[in-house]
Amino acid sequence: MKMAFDARSEQSDEALLVAFGNGDRTAARALTVRLAPRVMGFAARMLGGDRHEAEDVTQEAMLRLWRVAPEWRPGEAKVSTWLYRVTSNLCTDRLRRRRGVGLDTIPEPEDERPGALAEMMQAARARALDEALAALPERQRVAVVLRHIEGRTNPEIAEVLQISVEAVESLIARGKRALAASLGQRREELGYVED
Amino acid sequence: MSKTEPDKLDDTALDAMFAAARAETPEPSAGLMARILADAENLQAARDRPPRPMARPGPWARFVDGLGGWTTLAGLVTATLAGVWFGFVSPERLDTLSGGLLLADGAASYALEDILPADDGLAAFYEEGGQ
Repeated sequence: MKMAFDARSEQSDEALLVAFGNGDRTAARALTVRLAPRVMGFAARMLGGDRHEAEDVTQEAMLRLWRVAPEWRPGEAKVSTWLYRVTSNLCTDRLRRRRGVGLDTIPEPEDERPGALAEMMQAARARALDEALAALPERQRVAVVLRHIEGRTNPEIAEVLQISVEAVESLIARGKRALAASLGQRREELGYVED
Repeated sequence: MSKTEPDKLDDTALDAMFAAARAETPEPSAGLMARILADAENLQAARDRPPRPMARPGPWARFVDGLGGWTTLAGLVTATLAGVWFGFVSPERLDTLSGGLLLADGAASYALEDILPADDGLAAFYEEGGQ
């Protein structure tokens, strides 16, 4: 969904949120365009690629952001960090509710049109990673997704999870080890053929 | 992470997996974006709606308040109606109603004792006290 919000692109998330809290209606559009895709991507990755659930979580997380806007205290937290934390908690709630549901129920991509081999391989790898991530303990998954897919820094992840940076490093290291082990079982399927 | 363990993906391969995931990140649908904006719009509209102004009390309401509220007014109305009733029931008619018990025969008007029998006792008390 492309919209022209160039006039707002200079403003920080926080400035936009405060503007929204003060009644500026256009600020909501700029924030949605900027933040909703990030929340959606993170939620989808946390929820094993379930697009429908990820959309619900995204809408709920953004709604919480709108609600908190009038009381937002500038300088206290980064908007994106706050939003990742809310999203992470919402995903954890859903995962707990669905606990016991096997990986088989993770939906296949809806639109897997035949295309270039590379494209198919990329989709297959993304799906395999979703499955492997789904097998990780939740906090390891949050840390790995935020670090390696969302590109967030360790201090920011520490704030999201409300733990120390050292604890984040440890979570990421253990998470990656587990991913490497589980994906290693599928190396041929994923195009990593032994020389 | 050891890169030599045969059953594990090495860092390079794992990074390629992450890159694939980034490229396959689902985008929010136009419907979702519209729902998010609608939520924002609704919240803001609810916030902007001014609270219903308190109606300024009219002169009658202020008058009633000045008297002490509706309870006082009800008492006043009762007292007024009672006054009207006593005015309507003139002494003659009161005499008729009481069958001449109150007004002594031949008396042109009531003595206080006629309508306040207790006053009689009071007068007697004064008389005793005055001795």
